[in-house]
Amino acid sequence: MSGSMNSEASAEPNLTPMLDLVFQLITFFMLVTNFKAASLDLNLKLPVVGSARPLETEGEDLLILNIDSVGKLNVYGVTQNIERYIKAEAKASRLTAKRLNPNFKADDDLPTTIVVRADKQTPFNLLNVVIKTCQDNGFRKFALKAMNKEDG
Amino acid sequence: MSHRKKKKKGSENVELNLAAMLDMAFQLLAFFILTFKPSPVEGQINLKLPPPMPVVGAAKGQAAGDNNNNQNAVQAFESLVISVFSTPGGKISTMAIGEANVAGVSALEGRLKAVLSDANSPFKQVIIQVASKLRYAELMRVVDVCTRQTLPNGEKLTKLSFVELPTE
Repeated sequence: MSGSMNSEASAEPNLTPMLDLVFQLITFFMLVTNFKAASLDLNLKLPVVGSARPLETEGEDLLILNIDSVGKLNVYGVTQNIERYIKAEAKASRLTAKRLNPNFKADDDLPTTIVVRADKQTPFNLLNVVIKTCQDNGFRKFALKAMNKEDG
Repeated sequence: MSHRKKKKKGSENVELNLAAMLDMAFQLLAFFILTFKPSPVEGQINLKLPPPMPVVGAAKGQAAGDNNNNQNAVQAFESLVISVFSTPGGKISTMAIGEANVAGVSALEGRLKAVLSDANSPFKQVIIQVASKLRYAELMRVVDVCTRQTLPNGEKLTKLSFVELPTE
């Protein structure tokens, strides 16, 4: 019996199933990645209010204001001057509203909802500066953010 | 001339080198893993906050409804005023609805329910007078109680105004 011996045996792993699995993982992370969370200051400890409910705000014009315990306004990690920032946002909101609704008048209430994310230790007088500035610039709709249960 | 018969290769195997594609896929995966940050589920309380309007208050020492000469009850008492005072540490110390003291947040809820469920109640909005040092967490407890109430016309109470009490 003559048998030829293979001097080299090469084993090539089949990469197709691994590629499949990796594509599954990529699809998962593409679906769950939320880039809007970058606008939230996650260092803030929000108050706990049992009746606070996450509401569907898809399509609504929102302006998120992160206010820390010393009353500073943080936007994408950068501290902003409250009055200047809100005035600029009000101007932009007014322009957008005018574009969407030609009958929108200058002294009409702005359609933008102010989302207030304030630290639970923030004293009211500092928070009130922000709220009053928003009201003075025509904002009337507010959403006060809170957790509906304690973290952890 | 010798005719060489061309040997027909029965089947040509084209092998895709998947290693490069797998490398790219791992790059993408690494990107999405590094940028993935689960955001906490946050709730919110929606409010309409008009600027606080001046309230035509009752005369000093006078309880609501006492003045029979007041023919325009609606104008004077359309806004229900809740006062919230704080300790130096920012917690709620005392509260009052109008002139009447209220023991705590649960008592506030009961009292508000009683006032707003009255069919003749003229109140359409609530003005919350807040001590400057009161912490946001404590204020939200009061706001939570207010927004759970229903007005006599069946609408939820969402129209609030905040006024800062002068520092003592």
